[in-house]
Amino acid sequence: MGVETIPRMPTPLTAERAEAMSQRMIKKHHVAIMLLHWFNATVWLTELTTGAALISSPHFRVVPYWYIALVQGFFGTRSHLLQFHITVGLIWMVVFAVYGIFGVRTYLARQVIEKEVALDRDDWRWLWVRLRLILKRTNESLPPQGVYNAGQKLFAGLVYAMVPIIMLSGLVMAFHLVSTSLVQWAIVIHFAAVGMVFSGLMIHVYMGAVFPEEKPAFFSMLTGMVNELYAYRHHFKWWQEVKMQEQIWKREVVEDIRNEPPASAPELPTPVEVLPPPPHGESRFTFTLHRVFRDPRPWPPYVAGVGLGLTLLATFVIMGQGLGASGGFTRYLVWILAWISPRYVGAHDYWSQYAQPGQSPLLDFLVFELIGVVLGGFISGWLAGRVRIAVDKGPRISKSTRYLMALAGGTLMGFGARLARGCTSGLALSGGAVLSAGAWVFMLAVFAAGFAGAYFVRRYWL
Amino acid sequence: MTAPYAASFPPLAYFGIAMVLGLFFGFFLERAGFSSALKLTAQFYFKDSAVLKVMFTAIVVAMLGIVFFSLMGWLNMGQVYIPATYLWPQLVGGLLLGAGFIVGGY
Repeated sequence: MGVETIPRMPTPLTAERAEAMSQRMIKKHHVAIMLLHWFNATVWLTELTTGAALISSPHFRVVPYWYIALVQGFFGTRSHLLQFHITVGLIWMVVFAVYGIFGVRTYLARQVIEKEVALDRDDWRWLWVRLRLILKRTNESLPPQGVYNAGQKLFAGLVYAMVPIIMLSGLVMAFHLVSTSLVQWAIVIHFAAVGMVFSGLMIHVYMGAVFPEEKPAFFSMLTGMVNELYAYRHHFKWWQEVKMQEQIWKREVVEDIRNEPPASAPELPTPVEVLPPPPHGESRFTFTLHRVFRDPRPWPPYVAGVGLGLTLLATFVIMGQGLGASGGFTRYLVWILAWISPRYVGAHDYWSQYAQPGQSPLLDFLVFELIGVVLGGFISGWLAGRVRIAVDKGPRISKSTRYLMALAGGTLMGFGARLARGCTSGLALSGGAVLSAGAWVFMLAVFAAGFAGAYFVRRYWL
Repeated sequence: MTAPYAASFPPLAYFGIAMVLGLFFGFFLERAGFSSALKLTAQFYFKDSAVLKVMFTAIVVAMLGIVFFSLMGWLNMGQVYIPATYLWPQLVGGLLLGAGFIVGGY
């Protein structure tokens, strides 16, 4: 096993070498960064579409009047639209604050920021050559680049400078801080800063979504991986670093093997399927009872399905409605909201449905049903010996990654469930059983998105 | 007196029955193995179809039961809550929830 030498400068590759490199994937982005990127993209899209419709001054107006009427009509009134714009903005700030606080060392360390924005001599030359390439004034090759190229660094620098300005001016406008004249200044500054980012954003989106050479960069934001050939051609200095890391790692593994020859075969985990045979002297009845209640394996799906179906049937016959989950959680939420501010809940179109004056939002079928669900689940798991504290995840990711994924997934599910007026239990299962057309549309959409999305997150489960 | 009976229960019985029904709901979900995110997500990688099997068995059993009960005149379908259809919100909501399902694992 010869240690291959890492070239100082990019050299022409043989066809086989290029082919092999294009097949090999290397990791570029952490899942937290990908989640943040798409969260950020969603926020920018919503804030730009709603913000454009909020500009009332004819001097600053950037969209036609029909667009303003359309967006305001979608929200009912301008004040609802404004409320939405502010809410999304506040969520944006909170998420960034959480990332900043928990990831100070990961995202805000000096070397990290420098890698993202600082331009070295190669970068400046890259910009110059790139410009002349676009103008077709030269055909020299681009200087080698780090993990981000000079164009990306310029955009990152612009965004890093403008985002705090946008956040601060937004806060001043939303809450009329300090004085009227400051608010008036904030309006102009907010608009100008967003405009600066928007100009860069257009190039960013064009590069990511349209420009053919940068396709791997776009997919790396979905899977976290880029192929080695792309890294070699477009981010040579980063490719060198990755290679160097790989060699250090290889050397360590080789030394480990040399130093500590394995004394015994590694212990294999006992598979769950292999169960001890039934003890002698037990009747068939106790053995069946054991299989039904105390066996750690789950029931066959059709048996559990019949049990679940009979429970659902009993619920319809006795209660006149189906089983549910998200509706119950909504009522717990309304209860907390009403405890904090009854006036807010009473005035709110949606929350007030759940909180009639003089009656607790908790006096509901679903609220008590959920308590039963927790108890029933615990009894079942306890009988079968499945009760344990564990984080269910694929073998390739860390616990904190799984927590982040759970938070992101849960947020999506909660939003989707309220938009559709139900979740997998309340709408798909219960509505499906009474043949509600919307419930079947919902169910098919759930499975369609699940199957479609599975490919992109396979790294986290398999 | 035909079902559903919900309106005729005193509050304490109503909420007690709600808890018992929920208890069975939670029990059968756990029995099916749905307490594991790995088992749930395995559905979407064609490794374990328990989610689809359990869900559709339950729907078919409940559906046939409801038809039977209402044909025999034991269940007044007019008083059974059937979720209203809102095509676009339910389509979009379903897509979001499905995406959240595979990302979050439950």
